[in-house]
Amino acid sequence: MNRRDEILSKVSTIPAIPTVIAEIRKLLADTDANFKELSQVIKYDLGLTTNLLRLANSAYFGFTKSVNSVHQAVVRLGTKRVYELAVAAAVAPMAKRAINGYDLSAGKLWEHSVAVAIGAEQLASVLSINLPDYTFTAGLLCDIGKIILGTFVEVNAEPIMAMAFKLGIPFDVAERRILGIDHAEVGAVLLERWNIPGCIVDVTRWHHKPDGLEGDKLVVDLVHVADALTMMGGIGIGRDGLNYRPSPEVASRLKLTTRINELVVCKIMSGLNELNNIFTLKVVDGSKNGS
Amino acid sequence: MIHTVDISDMKVSTNKEDILITYSLGSCIGLTLYDPVAVVGGIIHCMLPLSKIDPIKAKTNPYMFTDTGVQALLKAVFDLGAKRENLITKVAGGAKLLDSKNLFRIGERNYTILRKVLWKNNILIDAEDVAGSKSRTVLLYMDTGKTTIKSGGKEVEL
Repeated sequence: MNRRDEILSKVSTIPAIPTVIAEIRKLLADTDANFKELSQVIKYDLGLTTNLLRLANSAYFGFTKSVNSVHQAVVRLGTKRVYELAVAAAVAPMAKRAINGYDLSAGKLWEHSVAVAIGAEQLASVLSINLPDYTFTAGLLCDIGKIILGTFVEVNAEPIMAMAFKLGIPFDVAERRILGIDHAEVGAVLLERWNIPGCIVDVTRWHHKPDGLEGDKLVVDLVHVADALTMMGGIGIGRDGLNYRPSPEVASRLKLTTRINELVVCKIMSGLNELNNIFTLKVVDGSKNGS
Repeated sequence: MIHTVDISDMKVSTNKEDILITYSLGSCIGLTLYDPVAVVGGIIHCMLPLSKIDPIKAKTNPYMFTDTGVQALLKAVFDLGAKRENLITKVAGGAKLLDSKNLFRIGERNYTILRKVLWKNNILIDAEDVAGSKSRTVLLYMDTGKTTIKSGGKEVEL
């Protein structure tokens, strides 16, 4: 068995994600299903209920009146947020573990993931783009392949690091050359196994080379830039550092400017602070932390 | 005691037993100041170059921005008795993506603003490890002022 096949076979050892996600997705796809049915599915999941209420009452959305039932929370946030939270709750335990191969201590990949998700949404908002429903989740999951590939990167750290940092080859390209596959593709294969919608799988697969995706590139573009800004902000970065190549085509498609980029970095930090208790993040900026 | 300096945060110390540490600088700038005579030291971890991008945020947290943050760190160490002529000044971070077209210039801009603020304050940089594409963790040992950079699993003195 070659290295690539060995890595792909590891994907099947990762546990499936909870069935509540499939149920929610089915309900969302069914246009006749109403808030009430959705609330019925959720209210038996205590963790999800708690987080949904916290999210509905968080500063991130800026509502002043508090809500206290699942039904009200779903109405306030819209059904797409429910799916996002369910997916987030399912992957959090895995994404929160330390990943030695990438030199990421416990919680770091998770911080990075939430930051990219917030960044993609905030970038769209700064650009006044009407963003598709799945943007947050696509951002959240883009680096999930690292939880599997980490073990293999650890074994081959030396040649990958040498190729990346001495030759200036993007880290994902170095992974592919040494291991036969990169973390983006491993992530996509894992998400397919979990039956995550294809549009989200595509974003994960192409987030380091968005120009390769055929069809509508909006979400992959947003996630690509959000990932870049999150790396620059130093949020949950490890051994691979900033050793990735940003796409000039994406920058021109989105008409990015220095001001826009820096504004979004600011908004990522604010978002992380506001969503801190929902996603149990460790990263907080100094204003909350004191010094 | 080990004190962690978060992203957009600053810490100062006068205790020889302290180690100040800030993790994973990307394009952010990490600045360490140390006065061996007064035994005063500090680290700041600034994320963005200019506070004018978000003046409200800059009021609640000046450490987030290089222009307001570096000034705040200088004031803090001077307030604790550090002298300009004794200061040992070291800089790390300001990394960038493999960005040949220079689309994302946060690291470079952070470094430029830092140089400007230090220059205005008549302070020279004694050592630096900046630019490139790696993530850096910076440690300041308060007993001797030794400053080290951890990156890719290795720790080297700056």
